[in-house]
Amino acid sequence: MQNTMLEITDLNTFIGQFHILEGVALSVPAGSITVMLGRNGAGKTTTLRSIMGLTPPRSGTIRFHGQALNGKTPHAIARLGIGYVPEHRAIFKELTVRENLQISARQKEDLAKSETLIFDLFPDLKRLIHLPGGNLSGGQQQMLAIARVLVPNNTLLLIDEPSEGLAPVIIESLMEAIRRLSAEKTVLLVEQNFRVASKLADRYVIIDDGHSVAHGMMTDLVQDAALIQRYLGVA
Amino acid sequence: MQSWRQFLKENWFFLAVFVVLVLFPHLVGWLTESSPFGVLRGDRYIMRGESTLWQAILIESFALSVLVMSYNLMFGFTGVISFGHAMFFGLGGYIVGMLLEFPEFAGIDPALRLFIGLLLTIVICGVIGLGIGFASLRLRGVYFAIFTLAVAEMVWIYFSRFDRTNGEDGLTISQMPAWIDPSQNRLALYYVSFVIFVLTFIFIRRLVNSPTGAVFKAIRENEDRAQAIGYHTLRFKLMAITIAGMFAGIAGIIHAILQKSARPEFLNVKFTVDSLLMTIIGGVGTFTGPVIGSTGLYLLDNQLRDQVVTIGSTTIDIGDSWNLILGFIFVIVVLIFPYGVVGTYQRWRAGRKNKS
Amino acid sequence: MQAVKNNLLARNLRNSTWTTIAILAVALLIFAFVAADGNISTFSITVLSGLLRTMLLFLVAAGLSLIFGLMDILNFAQGAYFMIGAYIAYDIQHPERGFITFGAAIPDPNLRFLVGVIAAFGIGTILGFILERGLLRRLYDRPLFQLVLTFGVSIILLEGIKAIWGTTPYTWTETMSLMTGSFQVFEQPFSIYRLFIIVMGFILMVAVSLLLQRTRLGIIIRAGVEDPEMVSALGINVRAVFTLVFTLGCALAAFGGAIAAPFQGATISLGSTFLLASIAVIVLGGLGSFEGTAIASFLVGLAWAAMEQFSTRPEVATFWASVTPMLMLSLILLLRPRGLFGGER
Repeated sequence: MQNTMLEITDLNTFIGQFHILEGVALSVPAGSITVMLGRNGAGKTTTLRSIMGLTPPRSGTIRFHGQALNGKTPHAIARLGIGYVPEHRAIFKELTVRENLQISARQKEDLAKSETLIFDLFPDLKRLIHLPGGNLSGGQQQMLAIARVLVPNNTLLLIDEPSEGLAPVIIESLMEAIRRLSAEKTVLLVEQNFRVASKLADRYVIIDDGHSVAHGMMTDLVQDAALIQRYLGVA
Repeated sequence: MQSWRQFLKENWFFLAVFVVLVLFPHLVGWLTESSPFGVLRGDRYIMRGESTLWQAILIESFALSVLVMSYNLMFGFTGVISFGHAMFFGLGGYIVGMLLEFPEFAGIDPALRLFIGLLLTIVICGVIGLGIGFASLRLRGVYFAIFTLAVAEMVWIYFSRFDRTNGEDGLTISQMPAWIDPSQNRLALYYVSFVIFVLTFIFIRRLVNSPTGAVFKAIRENEDRAQAIGYHTLRFKLMAITIAGMFAGIAGIIHAILQKSARPEFLNVKFTVDSLLMTIIGGVGTFTGPVIGSTGLYLLDNQLRDQVVTIGSTTIDIGDSWNLILGFIFVIVVLIFPYGVVGTYQRWRAGRKNKS
Repeated sequence: MQAVKNNLLARNLRNSTWTTIAILAVALLIFAFVAADGNISTFSITVLSGLLRTMLLFLVAAGLSLIFGLMDILNFAQGAYFMIGAYIAYDIQHPERGFITFGAAIPDPNLRFLVGVIAAFGIGTILGFILERGLLRRLYDRPLFQLVLTFGVSIILLEGIKAIWGTTPYTWTETMSLMTGSFQVFEQPFSIYRLFIIVMGFILMVAVSLLLQRTRLGIIIRAGVEDPEMVSALGINVRAVFTLVFTLGCALAAFGGAIAAPFQGATISLGSTFLLASIAVIVLGGLGSFEGTAIASFLVGLAWAAMEQFSTRPEVATFWASVTPMLMLSLILLLRPRGLFGGER
């Protein structure tokens, strides 16, 4: 039995009057890359945001290392060691690359400690360190967004659609970076691009219309053409 | 027959209010044994007695309601925030006031001058509204609000220093046509302003419930989306801002006639914020909210002004501390009635219906 | 490709921003020179008076800008805090006529002034903290209601001031060594006290810029201006930063009122006058941009002083001077819909 890092049961989240998540359940074993699959609007992003406390769930439980996250504020959740890389990257455009990294540091020495890892994964960033984030290309911004959550000692990374709007070559190198990261970190990934996801992840969860409908090992899913066709609409 | 019943069922409340308001001066007169026409002295009436007093209070309420309803059309239904709306209200008063008072217009019949004043107000407020509206093509949200603030503030500074209207003291209107003069024939002014009030209410209600109103609301919810669906949102915003400006101008005329003066403080941003608060307190984006908010606050103000409350050894003169009380009312309403009085009531009722 | 284009666009915007500012500044200086009838000494005094205006505006606008930038709240109570600062500094300086009498125990008027300024800052801090924690915090998802709330609070504060100090304007009568001196600018006198306000304003400007650019708190604030939610997701208690910035903004306004009190006294119209002009300044500069606020303060301050010189008839001059902030605001907004520095957001 693997050690479960994140365990979600029967998660219900509302945005305004809309019932977005209607009982999502998933578990992320430590050391894995788990990918959340599903159509647009299925509730993948909301699941990540619920974990972070950004759209607090109305009911259900979220446990991180056995500790309940419900009712905690986003910053308290982040401080438990969860790094969030949102959709559309959300780096701070007016801040320099260095400042983008600095803001994430929780202790003074965090940045110095993590620098080697970050620049090893994303050598580009070293060159761009004094540029404003807004001047970076899409791929570089995505690298920065991931690098930002590597500054403190996070154990779980939530990454939302890292490949969105990027060229295949860049996606390739980003995925390589995430794969290398997974040696030390646990990753929960949202990815629309099934080809990319299937190569990277070892486990999957399918979210459809606010429900988690299937989960298991990626190697099994790749064989199951019917399931893929039904929920993901790709052959 | 069926539709007539349906109409009665849906609108019984409004019809009842309508009937009460039509009879109101006589009702008060009958209850307090005062004449709705005032007291006859020689060949003219003097405005004394409860009935005429209450007529004045209601005329003021009608004027404020029209102003606040127009504000709500723009702000509550279309989502356009303006800090300059009082400018139209004040301008209406000044236009009519200058037409009646300035010697160069003395040759024209006063009733005609009043009529010209009404037309001019509608035209001028419409044109200014249109001009400001065009700015909304480029200015969104707070930027638009501050732009209107700047324009209104300049008009206010101009009139508070304009010699011919006595600067900060304002223009006193003495050349009022007798048939509508509130110190001779207040009942006429009562019915005139009542008709304007009713027409405004009906007009805004029909407008908002029409397809045009649906676009207004779509703009309020999300302007970009409304644009993406294919609506020419500028045209609708222009319409809302212009119509609101015209109604505010008309409201200003009623107010100026009742007060027999046009004063710069009614152009000021402070007065806009007052109407914004009346809208919010009554209920943003509701039909009756603005009426209840403006009338309620005005009545409170009017009734509490002269009261002195003694609690133990401390005596509080409410008139003196009215502004303070008003401040607390704002804070409390904002914290307790997040949707305004009417909005909160509607939600509460909807909630009860859902449960049963 | 797209990114490169965006970069170019951003750079162009930035360039055109500075070009606009330069053109405006030069035009204003020429205008001030013409308004001074080409007299160099009058012109220098105009520029100095302009700087004085700048700093007075900036003292209110700085807090307003920080608060709006981070929290999207247009704090209508800011003017009231400015006034409270002025009244407190006045009252401590003049124990014989006021409400606070402990000032009498401090014989040296200069020291008394210092105590007054510190007290004003302290009271501003406390009242700002109460407003944010006690009231505004409950309404974070309803920005419009926050606006109404701050307006209600500004009424309450104004009435509170009236209740304590009455409505009679106070003029500063106590002489301090700081106030008596003056120096010559091309044979025209300019009081040292006015120079003191200018210097204090500069110090504040530099201090806040350093805070924003060089400290961790500054990085957090600037990041929060862009995306507060993301800041909290990185493990930072953004609400606490909101409270801190709001409190600081109110305290700065009270500090400004205290500093300016010897120059303009304490009157109940101070708040609304400075509030409106400051709103014009922060919008002109571009909401959320602190450098925009600083630069817009200079432009409006200079224009104000030049307008005051512009006509020999005092009523015409004061009319144009008081219209200036609004006039500049409406014209510049039509040209640049998001103010000078707001375009990049």
